[in-house]
Amino acid sequence: MSATTDSSTTIAPDRVEILAPREPYKGQNVPRKEDRRLVQGQGVFVDDIKRHGMGYVHFVRSPYAHAHITAIDVSKAESMKGVYGTLTGEEVASLTDPFFQLSTPPGAHLKDYALALGKVRYVGEAIVAVVAETRELARDASELVEVEYEPLDAVTDARHALDESKPVLHEDSGSNLMWEGVYEWGDLDAAFAEADKVVKIDELHFHRFNSTPLETDGALVEFNRGTGQWTIHTNNQFPGFAQIMMGPAMRCGLDKLRFVTQDIGGGFGNKITSHPQLVVCCLLARKLRRPVQWTEWRTDFHMSMSHGNERWFHDTEVAVKSDGTLLGFRTKALDDAGAWLRYEPLGGVIWAQVTPGMYRWRHIRLEFTQVATNKAPVSPNRGYSRMQHLWFTERIIDIVAHELGLDPIEVRKRNYIRVEDMPYETPNGCVYDSGDYAQMLDVATELIGWPGIEEKRLDAAARGKLLGVGIGSTLDSGTNNFGQSRMINPELQFSGNNEVATVKLDIFGEIVVTLGTTPQGQGHETTAGQVVADILGCSVDDVHVRAGHDSYWNSHAGFSGTYASQFAVTGLGAVKGAADMLAEEIKRLGSVILGGVPVEALELAEGTVRIKDNPEAALPFMACGAIINANNAGLPEDLDVTLNCRYVYRPPFEVPDLERKFGNLTLTYAAQVHAAVVEIDPETGYYEVVDYAAVDDCGTRINPQIVEGQVMGATAHGLGGVMHEIFEYDEDGNLLTPNFYDYHVPHALDMPPLKTGFVESPSPFTSLGTKGMGEGGGAGIHAVCAAIQDALRGHGDAIVSDSSNPYRRVWEMLDHPDTAGARVQVVDA
Amino acid sequence: MLLREVEYAKPSSVAQALAILSENDGARALAGGQTLINVMKARAASPDALVDLSGLEELRGIELGADGTLSIGPMTTYTELVGSAEAKARPILGEVCAQIADVQVRNRGTIGGNLCSNDPTNHLPPLMVSIGAQLTIAGRGGERVVSADEFFLGVYLTAVGPGELLTKITLPAGKRDGFAAVTLGVDGTCIASAAASVNGSLRIALGCVDATPVLLQPASADEGAVREAVRGAGLFPPADVHASSEYRMHLAEVLAVRAARQASERS
Amino acid sequence: MSENAAPVSSSRQIAVTINGTLYEREVEARKLLIHFIRDDVDLTGSHIGCDTGNCGACSVIVDGTLVKSCMMLAVQADGSSIETVEGLADDGELAALQQAFSDHHALQCGYCTPGMLMSATALLRTNAHPSEAEIRKGLQGNICRCTGYWNIFEAVKTASERVAK
Repeated sequence: MSATTDSSTTIAPDRVEILAPREPYKGQNVPRKEDRRLVQGQGVFVDDIKRHGMGYVHFVRSPYAHAHITAIDVSKAESMKGVYGTLTGEEVASLTDPFFQLSTPPGAHLKDYALALGKVRYVGEAIVAVVAETRELARDASELVEVEYEPLDAVTDARHALDESKPVLHEDSGSNLMWEGVYEWGDLDAAFAEADKVVKIDELHFHRFNSTPLETDGALVEFNRGTGQWTIHTNNQFPGFAQIMMGPAMRCGLDKLRFVTQDIGGGFGNKITSHPQLVVCCLLARKLRRPVQWTEWRTDFHMSMSHGNERWFHDTEVAVKSDGTLLGFRTKALDDAGAWLRYEPLGGVIWAQVTPGMYRWRHIRLEFTQVATNKAPVSPNRGYSRMQHLWFTERIIDIVAHELGLDPIEVRKRNYIRVEDMPYETPNGCVYDSGDYAQMLDVATELIGWPGIEEKRLDAAARGKLLGVGIGSTLDSGTNNFGQSRMINPELQFSGNNEVATVKLDIFGEIVVTLGTTPQGQGHETTAGQVVADILGCSVDDVHVRAGHDSYWNSHAGFSGTYASQFAVTGLGAVKGAADMLAEEIKRLGSVILGGVPVEALELAEGTVRIKDNPEAALPFMACGAIINANNAGLPEDLDVTLNCRYVYRPPFEVPDLERKFGNLTLTYAAQVHAAVVEIDPETGYYEVVDYAAVDDCGTRINPQIVEGQVMGATAHGLGGVMHEIFEYDEDGNLLTPNFYDYHVPHALDMPPLKTGFVESPSPFTSLGTKGMGEGGGAGIHAVCAAIQDALRGHGDAIVSDSSNPYRRVWEMLDHPDTAGARVQVVDA
Repeated sequence: MLLREVEYAKPSSVAQALAILSENDGARALAGGQTLINVMKARAASPDALVDLSGLEELRGIELGADGTLSIGPMTTYTELVGSAEAKARPILGEVCAQIADVQVRNRGTIGGNLCSNDPTNHLPPLMVSIGAQLTIAGRGGERVVSADEFFLGVYLTAVGPGELLTKITLPAGKRDGFAAVTLGVDGTCIASAAASVNGSLRIALGCVDATPVLLQPASADEGAVREAVRGAGLFPPADVHASSEYRMHLAEVLAVRAARQASERS
Repeated sequence: MSENAAPVSSSRQIAVTINGTLYEREVEARKLLIHFIRDDVDLTGSHIGCDTGNCGACSVIVDGTLVKSCMMLAVQADGSSIETVEGLADDGELAALQQAFSDHHALQCGYCTPGMLMSATALLRTNAHPSEAEIRKGLQGNICRCTGYWNIFEAVKTASERVAK
């Protein structure tokens, strides 16, 4: 085919078969592009990558929760055959600056280096790195590293971390107080005056656990001496953040830190703060002049990586009317950050994305205090900081219902934010975009067979079991406004959010998409392909989405990564933006080539740009790509078409009002309502979840099967968290659950039957009507806690006060309900 | 996750195996490896040499005698016990083995390994005690038979001494057995367990409450008699992340009653 | 009975057939089978997810038996025939289980998937028409943190029906 700008030239296209317009891919369960390689074991996970001559890293870790390091001797290790070298905290301190701290003083004064310096502050803290020719030799050599310690008392209970008698972890900050802030909105005095009753709850506790992705953290790092650039093959899920933390510490530009990922074996937030280990690997690669490889042991992950926030809620007071209308609450939240602030204290504000939970109360006060303890550092875990707060609000619902003798379903319906209130501005200025919570509750109760529950209860009783049913409703707030970080520290220069994508047409018409995200199983390649195919009017099979993330693609920005339930908004927003740009360029090129036809008269379909009223006049994408890339003589000078489009999606945010702590903190609010039925063996406290329903609303669903998969996974995490999973420490700071033997993760026999339902309330704030989803918000935990409490009615009436309810706790609640559960008082207002 | 250096041998006869075990103080028998390999991965113990018993046919097989006695080779896997027609003569054996860990572990793990590792949370030690099994131990000097009551000596410690091997497990005839446990998740590790057998008299063996199974012989399977026997045993069960001492004690009572009831209700 | 001592050595020459190909290597006695498969033979489809033999990501089939290869030494596999995930597809044509996993969205990150597929393969060989309860029991030794398992049960059921046809 020839193409010139001579208006007299006509195009003699190949015969194009006109097919009926196909169904849009949006909303279809398009088979995943990722699957073929993954089911054949052809995924590339970080431990799969090998380099000639690479050294294997093993970390020497602290056996003490708190101790001075008085001596380190690596000489025996270094002289062992096959050992390439070591790295100590002193070397790190001479080569790098401490990591940037997000907090204000005193937390701001922490000196956080990639290896322990002078002191160890939690069991499992890395002190020395040893590199050797084989994994086994590195492990052997680590036993030859001699470290001398002077043990100190450990702080293991956040409630006593600020006692005078307790040792201070960080001399530089002079206190175990890491951050504190007071949040108050509405008129608490008026609310409590208007109330009929005040429900007082002495203590509620959200426990420490995380999502234990099956693949642990890891990296293979290469250093290019000539250019000073590191190539970091890793499974870190937030490279934007890692670069920002690492660059200044390593005294190098961010462009010297090239992040490459392909397949990641689960993240759930737990792969965000691996930057200290990555710094160690970078320094070793440079020092030893060879690539270095590190794969975290499961035990090391449990001991040192990304525990979810452990949070106490003390002295909660709830203002209620006798009919169950909730007016407001005040509480004191105490957050146990562990030994270092790696992403904290952002948890101190992120909960405020969902301040009222799903409820209409307007008068809220929360005093937030975050302290350091001799436990593993906390950092994001699926539902980060919102899950803890949402659990707290759901507990209030069930406790109020219990105390006032009301039906928890009715209390929810009475207090839920209503569909007609949407978009709803919360007391602190967040805007819930859409959702019909009451309808979701109806779907959930129908799925669980709520009307027939009493019959099931009797049947269970005949078998000697206590049956209970409970609701857990929750939000999944997505797409952060990083301006909320300024509520933690006004000096921080972060705000808004972004994500990047590129879509191009290659010389042979191949459509290639790159993303800034780092998927860990969420199917980004597939959903991005669906969005692009719908915009470009082609088959999804013809859209090639590159797997993973690579800084070299220049497809990323400061906030790039996969976290915080945002891909469907930010990632797909970027993809849509880039695809729209490309579509527009293809049409402008087509307009020229097809004889000056106006752009409005053109459409993209079947892999071509063609005239709507004369579809046979069509220019295939291959021709477009060929012209722009290799055959561009004679094109109009002002034709600004590259067919290589890069788009940065930016959500519409303002910097929040720091004085009132007011403003929109997240763009979208997906919701889930779960219902759980449990059967407890009252003689032993052993229980099972015998039925379960999960209802989800995440707005427009691009690929419903992928959405449902996320809901299921979040459900499983919630069930594991409430029933079994605890990072439990003894008084000396030893972690009692350092592996999967004691930290029980649910397996195939542990799962209840599951029914799912959905509602679609598109978001008015996003380009596709999608809402970020995936984290879930811990509904499984809320629902099972409610179900247990329901089962115990009439059998001690214990109030569930902890998010962790293994069999022993259920037995305690049966055996001594007054002390094992929460202590609740109801007083007249 | 990475073992220390170790030597390995794969003898082709029990005599060869005993020779290596006798001549090497630091040598340990390797059965299915489902416990020992994990122990070595954690470097909690690092034998100098492993003597792989998997080539020893003499240590395999299940024989059912005319008198109903079951003779089991220690290298018999849990999967083999679950599927064995002979083992159905004592149904509790397959029923309990089917609850141990998972398919992969059951395919390699052996009854001999389970007994000789004697982790207090293992299923089979209390079961062998309640059944009254006899364990045959071979050394270079010859063979001896030890009753289950005397086989378990301490945590990870049995009557099989250095240079010796368990070569046979013999169960008397019987069907009236029970087993009850509270486990970490379905079919998980035992938090507390009890095995019971009625063979004329009632024998209950408690697992998880002491270093070795605790044998009780209450006068009857009545709840009152069983609970009294448990309480009177002077137990101080260990506390760990899954159970306080008090909770474990409570579970022991409840499970003993249940196991005894199961055993009594079988014909 | 011969008392010729069996050799006791810290390394050995082994011959292992994996997916039909014979590999002869010298290995240390202490090397785990999973490391042999991943590092010595470069078959990285089988994965490692834990230190204590709990997660099943390393599951392979040895002489027809499903095992966790992190709880076997490579030397113990001398002379055996091993099947890993790389051997399931036939020259790029996916096995029924692999296709069914994709159809039912029974994988998300894909890290547990190879081990899960081997366990499912072993299950269907012993039980061509498993009930859901039997499927759950057969997969109990494989941890997944992404899917919650429900779609995996569906996939195995579908595969069993397709194979039966």
